[in-house]
Amino acid sequence: MQASALQMTDIVKAFDGRVALDNAVFAAEWGEVHGLLGENGAGKTSLMNVLCGLYRPDAGRMAIDGTEHRIEGPGHARALGIGMVHQHFKLVQPFTVAENVMLANPQASWRKGIAAVSDGIARLSQELGFEIDPAARIDRISVAEQQRVEIIKVLLGGARLLILDEPTSVLTDDEAERLLQTIRVLARRGTCVILITHKLREVLAHADRVTVMRGGRTVATVAAAGTSATDLARMMVGDAPVDDTEPGRGGPVRLEIAGLTARREDGASTVRDLTLAVRSGQIYGLAGVGGNGQTELAEVLMGVRAPDQGRIALDGTDIAALHPKQRRALGVRNVPADRTTYGLAQELSVGDNYAATRLGSGTFGSAAWVSRRAVGKRTAAALEAFDILGARVDTSVRLLSGGNAQKLVLARELDGRPVAIVAHSPTHGLDVRACAAVHDHLRAAREAGAAVLLISEDLDEILNLSDVVGVINRGAIVGELARPVSRQKVGELMLGHA
Amino acid sequence: MRASTAISVGRVNLEVRQGIALWLHGLIVLASIVVGLGISVLLLVISGIDVSNVFEEFIVLTFFDSAGLADVLLEWAPLILVGLSAAVAFRVQFWNIGIEGQFVWGAIGTTVVMIYDIGPAWAQIYLMFLGGIIGGMAWIAVPAVLRLRLGVNEIISTLLLNYVAALFVLNQLFGAWQDPAAVYYKTAQFADHQRLPQIGWGQIHVGLFIALAAAALVWLVTERSRFGAYMKLVGSNPRMALASGIPVALTVLAAVMLSGALSGLGGYLVASGQEYALTIYVAIGYGFSGIVIAFLSRNNPAAVVVVSFLMAGLYVAGESIQVFYGLPEALIGLIQAIIVICVVGSDFFVRYRVRWMR
Repeated sequence: MQASALQMTDIVKAFDGRVALDNAVFAAEWGEVHGLLGENGAGKTSLMNVLCGLYRPDAGRMAIDGTEHRIEGPGHARALGIGMVHQHFKLVQPFTVAENVMLANPQASWRKGIAAVSDGIARLSQELGFEIDPAARIDRISVAEQQRVEIIKVLLGGARLLILDEPTSVLTDDEAERLLQTIRVLARRGTCVILITHKLREVLAHADRVTVMRGGRTVATVAAAGTSATDLARMMVGDAPVDDTEPGRGGPVRLEIAGLTARREDGASTVRDLTLAVRSGQIYGLAGVGGNGQTELAEVLMGVRAPDQGRIALDGTDIAALHPKQRRALGVRNVPADRTTYGLAQELSVGDNYAATRLGSGTFGSAAWVSRRAVGKRTAAALEAFDILGARVDTSVRLLSGGNAQKLVLARELDGRPVAIVAHSPTHGLDVRACAAVHDHLRAAREAGAAVLLISEDLDEILNLSDVVGVINRGAIVGELARPVSRQKVGELMLGHA
Repeated sequence: MRASTAISVGRVNLEVRQGIALWLHGLIVLASIVVGLGISVLLLVISGIDVSNVFEEFIVLTFFDSAGLADVLLEWAPLILVGLSAAVAFRVQFWNIGIEGQFVWGAIGTTVVMIYDIGPAWAQIYLMFLGGIIGGMAWIAVPAVLRLRLGVNEIISTLLLNYVAALFVLNQLFGAWQDPAAVYYKTAQFADHQRLPQIGWGQIHVGLFIALAAAALVWLVTERSRFGAYMKLVGSNPRMALASGIPVALTVLAAVMLSGALSGLGGYLVASGQEYALTIYVAIGYGFSGIVIAFLSRNNPAAVVVVSFLMAGLYVAGESIQVFYGLPEALIGLIQAIIVICVVGSDFFVRYRVRWMR
């Protein structure tokens, strides 16, 4: 019998004390498409990074084609025939296709190398049904074509074990379908293809077997033919106990979004006819797998991205066309997902950042002048109230820990009486203590009567905090559930199987 | 996963600093300027200046001699203004390379009052002041609008408009505005009431007080006003500024207009206070000096005043070595460049702690 393509046993990997892989087990055969499923942070990508030599495991064994190896680095992994196409492409924009392929597969001479590589690209393109011009510049071809270049790059390097990390997340449906067909062709030729994804449909339709991971552990490996979406969803999200306390009834509707449509930079509509309403004294948890329009929705609500159409009403007033300044004056506050982009100015002081949203309001001086005494006094009080230890008013924000920086954002955004708060992944990357503090502050804002829209990819956070849970999938709300919320139900909606 | 905080190169170990004390930062910059000056002295010695004379020529005759100091103070005023102009624009990340063009247009705005004899005689010096400001602002308005409306890169547009401004002046000086009595191409001389009054020490005129007042005003605006706080936020993180409700485009526009006004004021000072005419030489060298001054003072208006004084000293000293030693003027540019490169290089020591391993 032919040896297994890959056998990974009891792989352990911790970062800074946080365990990413906890005795993970994984095995795949030659000639199969093997789906690797899991929520964000389940350990899928970490496990594959161990395989392709980017991370060195703390413990565990790996065997390729029956022979045990200690993989020393990416070069070693490549030599063993392991190739990975990362979610974020590793291509040099102004270079041509052939030049990029050659960069990964060095040749002895430039001119002859380009010719040889171009031949290889043409041959593989024909076999796989791609249409790629080796002389085209990377920044002139589409994302789908760039992905094909990545695949060719890895295959020309002699990869027999091909890892694709969320390959369809950047593609349209048609392109995704084509890619998955290609993967099947490769498997038929004997390649072992590992498909990292959180899309159940793809796995069920195109994989031979599926391994599910959760919290750094391997849950199970099953044959795709003998399983259902419901089973897979349950394996992915687990059976944690459901909080069945009474939901906050909430008061009148304060934040209302109706028929909202918005586009990403590349022109793709990522928010599609989205409608939801958040009541006073209520936390509305918007659950969903990342990349389903959450980022654009948050930006539209912040006022930094113009929607194509739709209505955003605050206490009945349409604010969709208002400048962030006017929205803030009406009581809309934001806790953005990426603090360093929309939340804080890294090079400025804690005081400058704390005062930023209310300069000229009278709080920090007059219309013309900023009172440095008022900024100092009020910032110091906020640092105290939000338990931001070790920071002073004149400390540069760059030097704050993630938790302190996020608490600073909250201190600023929750000051006064917010009417509506849009919090996007407010605890991303924070430790347990900081996480709890952030959650307490959001609950306190709810008790004070604010309408809180919590957008998060962390299902535990959503279930823990929300009075109502809405699920976003492909830019629209696909289901709304009130407490007590069924974890399985949310999981299925998130993954596209209602 | 974790970013490495230490790099080893041979026996040198580099650690990324988490922060740096102000005094240490100052010390590093000061040390780099001393290194730059050391290299410059070496250069002067190679060029044939006796090493024992360098100190005499450069320090004593420039700063401790009444005539020398008067020259320095005269040169100081426009340099303060161009330094401020660059600093204000750079603070909102608008890379104004067109200070020279705005300076020229400040001088044109000043001269127009003389050429067309606008307003009553007593008011003309004030109208010229306004003309200078309007000229500078008008010339920067074009790249500002192009950038804010159409996203045109201001580095290119401001730079190229310098040449347009210079060629326009040439066109006028060889044509309509030419003074037929003059030996070289310039306009007629300004009348007495069109000149900035001198204070009776060398050629120094009240323009110096205008420049110092402008510096004080710019300092107040950038460090103490709400507009200044907006500028800081927009310059540090424009996306965060927008999300915080700051009118980003308006802030950039206002700061850029202030930058143009300051450059234009520089043109007014030179036309009305030194040249008493519009010549093709009014603006030469000021644009790039402004950038250097703003860079060395890290866009701080108070530091601009100090750095531009030293820069004025460098110019005056440079002129004297030109006269006495017949060395080319380019040597001054070279010394400027050496000091700038040394200060840029010192940033490495601000970011990393260097340890020698044994």
